[in-house]
Amino acid sequence: MRLVEALISALMVAGLYATMSYGLALIYGVMKIINLANAGTMMLASFTTFFLWQTFGLDPIAAVFIVAPLFFGVGALIETVFVRRVTNENPVISLLLLFGILLVMQAGASFFLGGDVRSVRPVYIQEVIHIGEVTLAYNRLLVFVSGIVILVGLEIFLRGTYLGRAIRALAQDRDACRLVGIDVRRVSMIAFGLGTALAAAAGSLLTAVFPFDPSNPSGVLQLKSFTIIVLGGLESIPGVAAAAFVLAAAENLTVTLSKPQLENLVSFVLLVVVLVVMPGGLAAVIRRRRLT
Amino acid sequence: MTAWFSRYSKRTVVIGQVVIVLAIAVAIALIPILDERSFNLQRITFFLLWYAILASAWNMIGGYAGQTSFGHAAFLGLGAYVTGILWSQFKIDPLLTLPLAGIVGALYAVGVGVPTLRLRGPYFAIATIGVGEATRLFFVNFDDIFGVTLTKGVTGISLPSYDPVVVHYATVVAFVLVMFTTMWIRAGRFGLGLFAINMDRDAAETAGVPTARLQVFALMASAFFAALAGGLYAARQQFLDPASMFGFDKSIALVLMPVVGGLGTVWGPVFGAVLYSFVQDQITSIVHNPYLPSLIYGVLLIVIVMFEPLGIAGVLGRGRKYARALLMPKDGEP
Repeated sequence: MRLVEALISALMVAGLYATMSYGLALIYGVMKIINLANAGTMMLASFTTFFLWQTFGLDPIAAVFIVAPLFFGVGALIETVFVRRVTNENPVISLLLLFGILLVMQAGASFFLGGDVRSVRPVYIQEVIHIGEVTLAYNRLLVFVSGIVILVGLEIFLRGTYLGRAIRALAQDRDACRLVGIDVRRVSMIAFGLGTALAAAAGSLLTAVFPFDPSNPSGVLQLKSFTIIVLGGLESIPGVAAAAFVLAAAENLTVTLSKPQLENLVSFVLLVVVLVVMPGGLAAVIRRRRLT
Repeated sequence: MTAWFSRYSKRTVVIGQVVIVLAIAVAIALIPILDERSFNLQRITFFLLWYAILASAWNMIGGYAGQTSFGHAAFLGLGAYVTGILWSQFKIDPLLTLPLAGIVGALYAVGVGVPTLRLRGPYFAIATIGVGEATRLFFVNFDDIFGVTLTKGVTGISLPSYDPVVVHYATVVAFVLVMFTTMWIRAGRFGLGLFAINMDRDAAETAGVPTARLQVFALMASAFFAALAGGLYAARQQFLDPASMFGFDKSIALVLMPVVGGLGTVWGPVFGAVLYSFVQDQITSIVHNPYLPSLIYGVLLIVIVMFEPLGIAGVLGRGRKYARALLMPKDGEP
């Protein structure tokens, strides 16, 4: 029974994991850069959600509707001002640039807002739901459902609209996109904004579950999203969702069956092992099976 | 960097640099002799050299080979714990264990580097974040995992005191060693191979450069000196804990110094270390906000990456060029 509960609990967290990793995967797919500033975006979004909740009493889940569009703008701005200038250079350059942006975001938040731990406590935070013998925390369930809604919405956008298809095309072949008349610069900007908005949405959602400060838990979550996109294959979106669940399950099982303090060790070890053993991630393994 | 050296022969440049390194080393080595009570100056110069060693070490893999490591604190902390535990538990003189710390670091680098350096693009950088954090958590939980009392988890270990003046000299020696090593790499075939990999890995491989092996060697050299610096810290500071030794902020500092100073140059990391220890010491004492330095580094990093990829060394090199153009209007004619 503990095992079932651990797996369901993992599924709940996986919604949040998938949302934040999706943003990273989207940006990598289109621009071939790792957005190290993802953690910063997530954290700033958490702060925005916190202030919205504090001043207007706005629910953290509802805050996604304000925070995500706002950070879409922030992402588009970062792309236009900074990232665009370095996309053609050595990948190290863009990595260092985004790392600099992350430092500014984190240090800026600590500098201006203080390094205290904050938490959003909506009225339902203590409530639980019983399904059969399994007990679920209401806020986790809500975060999971929101994560699923966001991901399904994104999938529909990417498959159903012209812009979404342009983004997917860009991930496949930049030069071919230019040939067929896609405005590569504009679509890149939108993709970066969208990735940032997803990270921001994850930042809003996480406030309903975790307390946060300028570097936690966004820093650890960022490392986890690396594990997830590496495990899921950097450009495969269903792979990301599956990997989010695998990681969350592995963590929960470690906590349930072994020692709680090893929870984070699991994801880092998994990251290194996956990178070394199967650089293409789960998606590549599945693809290989299909071919042979 | 090389442009304004071009009218001198390569040998003159190397001799000049050796002289500068030795002059700095002698000047700093003289401090405890000239004034035995200059504890504050000794502390400042120790950390200056210490950061310079770390930054130069990082530069070997991050600058020359172009593989950004966000987990170098793993090597630093490993070296610190090797020296620290051998000193506190087994009473082995830290000076004797310093090379051992370096070797353990280099061996760990083989374990980390052989699988991860095959990866291309940003994968190595991501893998090192994982390695750094996993190593920290490993040391936090070391006692639990093995059922011993060695690292004492997050509380850290106190070490018996050791003569700081001896450590001061050892640091000077380590500084000279690391500078000679990076100059040797920069000037020789090894460095040329690394630069080739940095520019175009496929082309380098086609031209017969053993890319994988050279990169692992570079990481080994880098980890050796980082771990050596860790040992020096353990010998001087008498206290080790995973948060300060393996912390991500240490890894960040190791990235910042060489990048700000000048990626892939001999003196850039030293400039970066000077700036870093200055900001760390002075700014925090003027403005009492512990987050201001990080904010400054972040802005500096963005500015440098976007406008002057060679950092302080690049700015200085350019300054020299302009100065020469002013003094000698006809370029190249003395």
